[in-house]
Amino acid sequence: MQTLLSINNLTVRYGKDVALQIDQPIAIEEGDRVGIIGSNGAGKSTLIKSILGLTDYEGNIQTTLKPQEMATHMQFNEYTNSMPVKYIMEAILDTKIGKNKKLSELISYFEFEDCLRKRYSSLSGGQKQRFTIILVMMQEAPLTFYDEVTSGLDFETRQKLVEKLVEWYRDKECGLCVVSHYYEELEQLVEKLLILDQGHVIAFGNKDELFHKYCGKAVFILDNSLKNQKLLAAYERLEAPAHLLALSCNDAEKERELTELFIQNNVNYKRSNQDIEMIYVNAKAAYEKSKGRRK
Amino acid sequence: MNKKRKLISGSMILFELRDVVGNPFIHIFGIGMPIFFALILPRSITAGMKDSDLASTIVTSFFLATGSLIPLATVLIGYAASCAQELEKGIPQRMELFGISKKETLFNRAISEGIFMLIAFAIYVLVTGFILDLKKPVLSGVLIYALCMIVLGIICFILAHGIANLFEKFGPTYCVTMLLYFGFMALGGMMGISYDQMSKGMQAVAKMLPMTYISRDFVTVWTGKNYNFMPMIQSYLFLAAIAGILLFIVWKKTERKVH
Repeated sequence: MQTLLSINNLTVRYGKDVALQIDQPIAIEEGDRVGIIGSNGAGKSTLIKSILGLTDYEGNIQTTLKPQEMATHMQFNEYTNSMPVKYIMEAILDTKIGKNKKLSELISYFEFEDCLRKRYSSLSGGQKQRFTIILVMMQEAPLTFYDEVTSGLDFETRQKLVEKLVEWYRDKECGLCVVSHYYEELEQLVEKLLILDQGHVIAFGNKDELFHKYCGKAVFILDNSLKNQKLLAAYERLEAPAHLLALSCNDAEKERELTELFIQNNVNYKRSNQDIEMIYVNAKAAYEKSKGRRK
Repeated sequence: MNKKRKLISGSMILFELRDVVGNPFIHIFGIGMPIFFALILPRSITAGMKDSDLASTIVTSFFLATGSLIPLATVLIGYAASCAQELEKGIPQRMELFGISKKETLFNRAISEGIFMLIAFAIYVLVTGFILDLKKPVLSGVLIYALCMIVLGIICFILAHGIANLFEKFGPTYCVTMLLYFGFMALGGMMGISYDQMSKGMQAVAKMLPMTYISRDFVTVWTGKNYNFMPMIQSYLFLAAIAGILLFIVWKKTERKVH
């Protein structure tokens, strides 16, 4: 696998504040599908901007790729409003829609035909996202970034968009970095995770390996109710968001025991061996413990 | 889309031209206002004048001076406003991320602005030229006037790009370009006070602006009489130097970091 990009000792400052400080080496290889997660202000977009050369930084970002070989769907994408989007598309891609089979197929794939005559401001949120996605996909770049591509969209539109992205990139060799707060989307799209918190890297690696490291073989997730708390009082629990309870299982015997317990007590539960939210919460807790911020 | 992009291309010129035409400011200030000024103001001054040759000289002088408002309005105000609005929305950066370099955008935009400026001039000449009683020009006078307007347009374009990129916001950009527009008009003697009526300080500033020479002296060149071009050339060089320095500063400021 060819390394597309490697980062060493990266620091980004906004005034006196350190927005991003990456001390451990990060490498993105050909074919990598990396999900970049973290709460607001974690440094996700700053990291992408640094890689794209849009912000000043100290440290070392090494890549053999030229700037135009990195395609990007930014968090906010704006275009001129003085003409229909058809003309913007043709100018950016330096082609004619009617003469470009691949572009025509992509427009049809994203059901964008009826939007071509509209101006950018007249498009809905989902249509705006699809417009930029078509342009980004047409770049056929070795490395592509999607920064919160589904933010602000309704559930159905989000689902459809992610399905199309998964389908499109299924057999592609290019590297993909996806920033998202919707973990269920990342479960479909990525194999690696880069977890950031307050500008620092908490964890980076294969999704399954990180799950094993922080959550065990599988997790059981339940609602955080008084009844469930009493039921699980004897079990050691994983860190979980406030509205949930989570248990780690490392062997089949324990899984059977817990399943039986939940059935007997008529408790709703979810079993997962790849839940990104659980990886995030437990990786963050482990990081904070290592830094002495948490007992 | 891995093919190499041309610095100047028909599709990008057309794209930029659509953007230029879509800007309402330039239709009002760049075409409407010069025609209005050229038709209304000289009539009010020459009304009742018995010396028809003098009246014709005044009308021609107005026609030539008001023509210089076209590059000022279409390019200086129009492009600066449009560029600042786009910068505010992050559009140039978005285009750069699609592989369209700043240089490509700038060159194609400059050509599109030039095309629009020529169209605006054509409309101006067609509307006013047939109505006003103008002095008959010599060919060299017309060519020099055209050259002066083109060079002024180029300087205005660089100045507009520099101002918009310096502020990166529509409000201050529009304010500064409007101040320059009316400042150039006033110092160029197009707002009721001629060069000779100005104070010494105002004259010193006015001497550094090409608009002064266009408004005050160009009828001499237009009719083929002898004229010392040196002060006018110096004023062009002065304005071009300011625009060039501003462009250099903003170019460095907005440069993308390459790893």
